[in-house]
Amino acid sequence: MKRKIIILGLLLLLFVSVPFALSGFWVRLITYILMFSILASALNIISGFTGYAAFGNMVFFGLGAYTTAVLMSKGGFSFFPALLLSAAVAVVTAVLLGMLLLRLKGHYFALGTLGAAEAVKHIIENLTELTEGGQGITVPPLRGSPAVVNGFFYFFMLLLLIAILVVAWRISKNRLGYAFKAIRANEQAAGVMGINTTRYKIIAWSLSAVFTGITGSVYAYWFSYIDPPTVFDVMWVVKMFVMILIGGAGTVFGPVIGAFILETISELVWSRFINLHLGILGMIIIMVVMFMPNGLISLVTTGRGFRDIIKNLRRSTESRL
Amino acid sequence: MLLQSIVNGILFGAVYATIGIGFSLVWGVMNIINVAHGSFIMIGAYLSYTFYIAFGLDPFLSIPLNMAILFAMGYLIQKFVLNRVVRGSVFITLTFTFGLQILIANICLLIWSADYHSIKLSYSGAGITIGSIVIPLVRLGIFIAALVLTGLFYLFMRRTKIGIAINATALNFEGAKTVGIDVGNIYAITFGVSAALAGAAGALISPIMSVNPFLGGPLVGKAFVIAILGGLGSTIGALAGGMVLGLVETVGTVFMPSSFQELIGFLVLVLVLVFRPQGLLGKKFYE
Amino acid sequence: MSEIILEGRGVTRTFGDLQAVWEVDFQVKRGEILGFIGPNGAGKTTLLHMINNTRPPLTRGEIFFKGQRIDHLKPYQIAELGVSRTFQIVKPFPGMTALENVSIGALFGKDKIRNAHWAREKTRSILAKVNLSQRENVPVENLNISEIKRLELARALAMDPELLLLDEVMAGLNPAEIELIMELIIQLNREGRTIVVIEHVMKAIMGISQRIMVMHHGEKIAVGTPEEIRNDESVISAYLGERYAKMRGSDA
Repeated sequence: MKRKIIILGLLLLLFVSVPFALSGFWVRLITYILMFSILASALNIISGFTGYAAFGNMVFFGLGAYTTAVLMSKGGFSFFPALLLSAAVAVVTAVLLGMLLLRLKGHYFALGTLGAAEAVKHIIENLTELTEGGQGITVPPLRGSPAVVNGFFYFFMLLLLIAILVVAWRISKNRLGYAFKAIRANEQAAGVMGINTTRYKIIAWSLSAVFTGITGSVYAYWFSYIDPPTVFDVMWVVKMFVMILIGGAGTVFGPVIGAFILETISELVWSRFINLHLGILGMIIIMVVMFMPNGLISLVTTGRGFRDIIKNLRRSTESRL
Repeated sequence: MLLQSIVNGILFGAVYATIGIGFSLVWGVMNIINVAHGSFIMIGAYLSYTFYIAFGLDPFLSIPLNMAILFAMGYLIQKFVLNRVVRGSVFITLTFTFGLQILIANICLLIWSADYHSIKLSYSGAGITIGSIVIPLVRLGIFIAALVLTGLFYLFMRRTKIGIAINATALNFEGAKTVGIDVGNIYAITFGVSAALAGAAGALISPIMSVNPFLGGPLVGKAFVIAILGGLGSTIGALAGGMVLGLVETVGTVFMPSSFQELIGFLVLVLVLVFRPQGLLGKKFYE
Repeated sequence: MSEIILEGRGVTRTFGDLQAVWEVDFQVKRGEILGFIGPNGAGKTTLLHMINNTRPPLTRGEIFFKGQRIDHLKPYQIAELGVSRTFQIVKPFPGMTALENVSIGALFGKDKIRNAHWAREKTRSILAKVNLSQRENVPVENLNISEIKRLELARALAMDPELLLLDEVMAGLNPAEIELIMELIIQLNREGRTIVVIEHVMKAIMGISQRIMVMHHGEKIAVGTPEEIRNDESVISAYLGERYAKMRGSDA
């Protein structure tokens, strides 16, 4: 336990020093990765822990981004009040959508949420007076020197990440976490044992939504320009699922590890092979799903040494029919 | 005007049926939502385009070629790759097919570039006129070809040994294994057939749509709607679903702008999922 | 405190043309052990499903627990009132240890223990009762059939139920294990819990039940003491048949 705390402390120190030690490019890159870490962790709460594959989770990101964008550019709001309202919008949406969709199972839920996300995207595209429609909307940016601006968003994302990790860690140990895991393991048995599954599912999705929505809000302020295809992009969710798979579903740090691994690879590839970017991402997704559906950790911890890793690889690719 | 829309809707509805039935088959038999299905259709369209440009082959004649190539592709993918993840959870299989889709899109991009390509047929202007309704020959041909394909598929599933084996595996996986059905092979054949149908659909749309590597997404979206409307694995359902979709789209444009159309489409989809997930006809497989 | 803890009136469940449960009236007395027998397919498990509403809806009829109507409640609400059950096809939570599985009962059952630590302590005492203490950190996938059956029982117990519904909890166990479960059931009953036991192990159920209810083809055909049931004509012809006649001969 003590060793864990020391490692975490060192990591924290490392992360805190980044804006002071590295150039703007790196600070922005790591901020972007931190953002994905938050999003993947948020998705993990409803999907990894509770077992509901919310492929439409970007709906909260998009709503958060647009709420902030519209309030700040048209309503004259400053950032923090806009952020709070964005969070509120996300939670309310999660509760309403949850009451409608959480009764669905498996693929039906996954695609129901995707359909809902697409529907919301189209609504936003059509409310052109409010949202500037398909051409996107600009947000009054944060004033200041590049270093200060970079630093602000970096630390904001870092704080959000720490917050969600704390939440995830507490959940993994307390009563709420037990409810989520029971629902994932066997929803019918969970009900019979006294768990109000509807209520807990909505709580899980709301937690996921609030963090996703707040992140969307920060994104809007950070990038200063958003448009519907970007903030409702389903490929983001697919990436988040891959990150969760790489790191291990239902674990606290898994999504973060997965985010760093995937985005680092992505970054290396993007700069060298732009026109192979999608293809390589596709290959990575396929490889991860085939060879490590239980996370990188499972490949490494079940045995020692290289030979065991190969054995695990071979075992995991045997036809499971 | 309205009547013309209705006719157009029906004509295109048959194509939608071919788009939907392959997707619906894989979902019904293996519980896999193949997001890459749209990409398979695109490959079919690209193949037809290439055959047309290189050999002057009429897209209708490219149908058997497309089907053969895509069947092989689908069979191999399922046999060596998908069979390993097919019993996984939703997010494993769905994530996997998303990955497959972008891989295929990238490959198409590399081979054919991002430019829109289209086929201009020598007879594309000609048509039959009945009263105030114009039926272009190309669309009529597509309609007939689509119906024939759907009919052949129906017979395949009901009358051939393999088709029956597929049904058996879908309805009772463990039971099928017990009676000696090689389920891995059946799954591979199923996926191959699905891809072949997609390839055929691609040939059918190539004369009337411009092809682009990224049209896979919207296409699979439509396939999904058709599968939901029609019920998984049901050929008649896919036909009905396809017709409904075709009609709603063409008749819909008469009354509202296309951006609203898509929105209504999604709302209807969500509502159907929530309130009638067994589809409009409420049937599954055993029609 | 009323004497009847669970009551059903005209309880009916049909699946299309199949009458799984037909117009069944039954009463369970507080503090008793009610044995529930009948040939396979008689509708026993279905009736249990109806009591805690795991396969809604009820086609017709009403069910009352301590005088309160429960047939429209959600399963978790019925659990909160003090009814818990085991499943014929065991349903432990995969991916969790024995301890975690049973803890869920403690955390969300009738007492709704808030503190995860205290729940774990209570869980440990229950695991000790069913002799699973040494296996508490074992993932449930690695438990053998006898251990899983006891785990099911432990999970139901952790909810601190007033009424416990056991569905073929002895199936698949050897005689020594059956003895163990029988003693457990008797002990739980002495603690004041009402227990309904569905079983096929005749000797066991006749031995521990104060009353027995018999179902056949979805209908209740008899209810009474074990002695009365043994001698009931309709029961003998429907279910016990010749095999039991032979058993009677060898019974001490």
